[in-house]
Amino acid sequence: MMTRRGFMHTAALGSLLAQDGYGAPLAGLPHHAAKAKRVIMLFQHGGPSQLDLFDWKPNLAKVRGQDLPDSVRQGQRLTGMTAYQATFPTAPTVFKFAQHGKSGAWMSELLPHTAKIADQLTIMKSLHTEAINHDPAVTFFQTGFQLAGRPSIGSWLSYGLGSENQDLPSFVVLISQGRGNSQALADRMWGSGFLPTKFQGVKFRSGKDPVLYLSNPDGYTAGARRRFLDDLGQLNQMRLEEYQDPEIATRISQYEMAYRMQTSVPELADMSKEPEKTFEMYGPDSRKPGSYAANCILARRLAERGVRFIQLYHRGWDQHGTLPKQIKWQCEDTDQASAALITDLKQRGLLDDTIVIWGGEFGRTVYSQGELTETNYGRDHHPRCFTMWAAGGGFKSGYTHGETDDFSYNIVKDPMEVHDLNATMMHLLGVDHSRLTFKFQGRHYRLTDVHGKVVPELLA
Amino acid sequence: MRTFIFFALGVAAFAADGKIQFNRDVRPILSDKCFMCHGPDAKTKGIALRLDSEEAAKRDLGRGRRAIVGGDVAASVLMKRVTAPVPAMRMPPPATGVQLTAAEVETLKNWIGQGAEWEAHWSFIPPVKKPGTIDSFVRERLAREGLAMSGPASREALIRRATLDLTGVTPTVAEVDAFLKEGNYEKVLDRLLHSPRFGERMAARWLDAARYADTNGYQYDGERVMWRWRDYVIESFNKNKPFDKFVVEQIAGDMLPNATFEQKMATAFNRNHRGNTEDGIVAEEYAVEYVVDRIETTSAVFMGLTMGCTRCHNHKYDPLTQKEFYQMFAYFNNVPERGRAMKYGNSPPLMAAPTETQQKKLAAMNAEIARLDAKVPADVAGQRAWEKTLAGAAAWAPFGERDAALPFDDGGAVGRIGGAKLFDGNTVVPGPAKSAQFDIEDRFTMAAWVNGSGTIATRKSSDGYQSKGIGLFLEGGKVHFHISSQWESDALKVETEGTIGEGWHHVVVAYGGTRMAEDARIYVDGVLQKTKFVSDTLYRPFVNAGGKFDASLKVGGGAGKDKRFRGLLDDVRVYGRELRADEIAMMAAGRPLAELAGKKRTELEEKQLRLAYLETSEVWRQAQQLRVERERFERTFPSVMIMAEAPERKKTHLLIRGAYDKPGDEVQPGLPAMLPPLPAGAPNNRLGFAQWLVDRRNPLLARVTVNRFWQSLFGTGIVKTAEDFGQQGEWPSHPELLDWMAVDFMESGWDVKVLLKKIMLSDTYRQSSKTTPVLLAKDPDNRLLARGPRIRMSAEMVRDSALFEAGLLQEQLGGPSVKPYQPDGLWKEVIMQDFDYVQAKGTDLYRRSLYTFWKRTAAPPMMMNFDASQREACMVRENRTNTPLQALNLMNDVTFLEAARFIGQRMILEGGADRDARLRHGFRIVMGRGASEKELGVLRGSLAYHLDHFASHASEREEYLSYGDTAAAKNVDRTELAGYAAVASLLLNTDEAITKE
Repeated sequence: MMTRRGFMHTAALGSLLAQDGYGAPLAGLPHHAAKAKRVIMLFQHGGPSQLDLFDWKPNLAKVRGQDLPDSVRQGQRLTGMTAYQATFPTAPTVFKFAQHGKSGAWMSELLPHTAKIADQLTIMKSLHTEAINHDPAVTFFQTGFQLAGRPSIGSWLSYGLGSENQDLPSFVVLISQGRGNSQALADRMWGSGFLPTKFQGVKFRSGKDPVLYLSNPDGYTAGARRRFLDDLGQLNQMRLEEYQDPEIATRISQYEMAYRMQTSVPELADMSKEPEKTFEMYGPDSRKPGSYAANCILARRLAERGVRFIQLYHRGWDQHGTLPKQIKWQCEDTDQASAALITDLKQRGLLDDTIVIWGGEFGRTVYSQGELTETNYGRDHHPRCFTMWAAGGGFKSGYTHGETDDFSYNIVKDPMEVHDLNATMMHLLGVDHSRLTFKFQGRHYRLTDVHGKVVPELLA
Repeated sequence: MRTFIFFALGVAAFAADGKIQFNRDVRPILSDKCFMCHGPDAKTKGIALRLDSEEAAKRDLGRGRRAIVGGDVAASVLMKRVTAPVPAMRMPPPATGVQLTAAEVETLKNWIGQGAEWEAHWSFIPPVKKPGTIDSFVRERLAREGLAMSGPASREALIRRATLDLTGVTPTVAEVDAFLKEGNYEKVLDRLLHSPRFGERMAARWLDAARYADTNGYQYDGERVMWRWRDYVIESFNKNKPFDKFVVEQIAGDMLPNATFEQKMATAFNRNHRGNTEDGIVAEEYAVEYVVDRIETTSAVFMGLTMGCTRCHNHKYDPLTQKEFYQMFAYFNNVPERGRAMKYGNSPPLMAAPTETQQKKLAAMNAEIARLDAKVPADVAGQRAWEKTLAGAAAWAPFGERDAALPFDDGGAVGRIGGAKLFDGNTVVPGPAKSAQFDIEDRFTMAAWVNGSGTIATRKSSDGYQSKGIGLFLEGGKVHFHISSQWESDALKVETEGTIGEGWHHVVVAYGGTRMAEDARIYVDGVLQKTKFVSDTLYRPFVNAGGKFDASLKVGGGAGKDKRFRGLLDDVRVYGRELRADEIAMMAAGRPLAELAGKKRTELEEKQLRLAYLETSEVWRQAQQLRVERERFERTFPSVMIMAEAPERKKTHLLIRGAYDKPGDEVQPGLPAMLPPLPAGAPNNRLGFAQWLVDRRNPLLARVTVNRFWQSLFGTGIVKTAEDFGQQGEWPSHPELLDWMAVDFMESGWDVKVLLKKIMLSDTYRQSSKTTPVLLAKDPDNRLLARGPRIRMSAEMVRDSALFEAGLLQEQLGGPSVKPYQPDGLWKEVIMQDFDYVQAKGTDLYRRSLYTFWKRTAAPPMMMNFDASQREACMVRENRTNTPLQALNLMNDVTFLEAARFIGQRMILEGGADRDARLRHGFRIVMGRGASEKELGVLRGSLAYHLDHFASHASEREEYLSYGDTAAAKNVDRTELAGYAAVASLLLNTDEAITKE
């Protein structure tokens, strides 16, 4: 009887296998020497308030409650939620800010842990986006276009750069639920658009099946599955010999990869062998499967295994009302783990070639949505400026880029499009964003559409 | 890598005879590498040279310099520039990242050397039918490569291929046996073409093209109801509706003279796009997106053009201008729709779309009402006698659904009819318990006699004007009415334009339950009033996401203390239906009935008395009750969103850079100039556009359509870029064959079944799909068709065939979408409101996959694993990948485990007594062919292993058998069942099981 290894190699067409699965990089890639090999994106879904976290505006206290001057608002369009509002009272943050590290970066008291790694970060205060609502804004952020149909960043990178791990997908998505007001996610945010669907993000979930359909049915042992796959391999091999269709050879290899995933994924998700100090570093939540903190540990484990693009989504940042209360929850759930991830990657020597990006789809307004009181206010969506940070992988540490005006309403220095961030990130991965294209409907599409430029100031 | 091999072959092969053909060889180079700057949009970039027309490309550029001089390579500036050694001089400019390959430069050189003969782009010229057959065109092409067709596929392979292609499931063992015996292939095709499964199979791909889904998409992604249109598609294919008719109905069925119910329903095609319901959106922005989506979809599906490119600028490759985009936009911009879609359910315009069963029941109800009406006695004498018995202050009020009545006859004040109640600005009178429990989609009417000012009646969550609920007011002589879920972004508010004077007036609001301001009608003294729509954005039910709303009716207040009524109210009535205008007029004429008895009366009063008397008739009451029931029944009809024309044509402007808020010049509806004009007599509107699409002179529709059917059989179209027949699209592998089929299709009266049958009867289709190293090297993607198609089944086919083979498939045409097995929590982790996946029970678990509920933002995972389109946008190209997730899906998903269990059971119950016979039977069920000895050997080993294992592990056996809701047959040994189920699972996981060979 033919062994598993036997039939894998008897296939005369074995050489064609490389073209399938998650595979090798595209010809010609990387375009230049890469600083980074992978990305962990800590996406804070809903639009975290830059005003309460990073963009310190001490002068706002003086104009508290006053209507936002027209000279600042400049007739900019508002969402349908505050367009009806009669006044736009200026709402300074209720949280205390201080400077941190040698770089003297300003951060609010909500981020005590991030504050400690301030010198590792590139803080970008001058991001702006096209969209004013969640769905188009997240779709824009992740695919470079507001409407559905284009591939997500992770799909582009898997397509272009291939995989460095034959046992895991190259693009993994991890979702956690926040305690604040949540907005919906959609498959398209990690979808492959017009790229082949094998490049779509694979959602890892907490619980029995980290990947859908991963576990064998109850009562069906790993031994039985091995036997099953050997038998299956033989049947497929017979068909391959008769039909000579390389797709059959690929099918055989995909079943073998599935089998490897049945081991590699649970092994990856099993945190029981993590030392106590890991959980201490990431905080008490990190013991709860599916939490943001646990996902941060998973992200590190995925990075260790060479997964190309690791996309976290943490929901709950949409603070239209009761912002002070809700944003506190959100920060409690994320601050320590985000910072721990940076420290952890650094300790393991992974930060040099791993890009970590933190941020959401837009910022929030300086004026209060709804009533402004001593302790309470809300903030509407604000696309004209927001803050993100990046670390590792060739980003310049201890650097703050861009400035906003006194109201954190308009950008006054070094504006950055989302496309610019993507172009810069791709640059560090060895990809020229203008040259990673895919022809669809007669057009050579790319992640940055017809926009985007690498921002040299952000590079180490 | 593959693509590269094919292109290498393609270019070399095409040039085999040395003669360069412009369309085939040169245009693709110019288009892909040069048109970006030197194309139709060159002028806006300030570039003088255009290469997209012969005249422009060969004209004198000054001082006798010409880009292209036929027959003179040396004089052609183009050649100098593409071969310039100095980068600064070279075209394309190195900075663009676009480069010509050496082979491309050679092609350009040879073409110019041969005379630079130009051709119009092939797909913009009407197709011509050259003599030949499908096979002759294919053979001729193969001969040029020194290749020949493969031999015929085996009968088993052929019937399986044809059955999958026409019905989407595998053939039964009996069907294969019959074909093996009779060998009458044409008869098989006829049987399959007449199977109701045919329409389901054809509809599946049409739903991808039409971006059909059961939810609205975008952020909330709430449910919508479009399945009646899906069923229309299935039915149309099954009835073999001529394809041109099918197209016209879907584009403009509503505008056809005497449009039928079905023709109107067909227009849902262009309402299948996503609808944004988010609170914060700017509605105008999305109103534009919907029209753009219609154009992108319509142009891709029916024209093979990428019109979307011209939304912001002139097309970079095809002769389409931005202005032409907006001219076409104007055809689709005249729908009375809104930018913000309804959060739950359908958004207008829509129509009730009863199913056939419902239509039958409705007809029966109508007949019964007519029968009862006929039995109502005239009985004039009886009425006279009855009139004499009348006394008291009771006035006439319409019959049926009387939800609350407060006549205030002992109210202590003199009323309009009998007594009335005086409201002093502090009084609020509660309505009867549990009355007026309406939500925003219910029909209702509120009526009162009013003499004063303030709140007439409300049903509100708290005592405030802006609180959630319903309110009717008279303020400053104007009647106001509102329904509000969230002041004031989610509310409907109307007020009368005119004012009314002091004294008694009869005030009514009648609401039709459509959530639209236009559907809240206000009557004063029986006359319908003109109203102003103060707010018209109601969309969220009071009982949003399962919440409670049990506020009760209040008269004279309930909307804030300052608004309480001051004055007299009399005869306040609430109905659970929308009263008709004539009923309201009669109410407004109201006097106590006793006052009318025996007196001289107006016509309305006469009618009132008559109706009041009829209420004493049992038969009449039955008829009226049935009318009420009929209305309630009609409310259960599914609706469907359709196209309609606004009464006044909406203006269309060119949008600068495609932005909704940057209108440019106004444009009129019109067609791209490069295509033929409207056919004679066709109106210049959406209907004319549809007639133009199907006009014989239109070069695109027939080609694009036959190409898609070809793709559905062979996996790849003759034009691989099924969505793009423009200059950037791929050159057809068999241009003459494509044109032959296109013309033949039109000549046949656009007969889809005839087209499919012709293709499937060809030798080309009937070839064996076995390949050889030589063929793989020369033509890995089988574009030349030297072998039959061997492609992985679509997602629907994979699931449907497994269920069918298991005997689990529940075949029922049409109906609401269903929710089969899906892993827990998939919706929960991404959605924001309480809209959870509630898995079906019983037969709905086993319906065909095209009936599976499609949530755009969290699509069915099995379908997505097998490359289904996400349905966010139109998709006409078929896409196949081969991934480990598919392997996990087939091995471990309950759907396939249960199917395996039932195939295993069939092996035991139908296969005979001995193991080999059972194994052979199972193999035939799944593969449609007999197992070889070697294959049987593997199955034997597998069975023995599993029997042995499960015999000694009873609890594991029971666990393994526990998957799926349908219980196994009682008379089957459990260990045997588990063993054969495991073998069946093995069969379902083979490459062959999920491949059309």
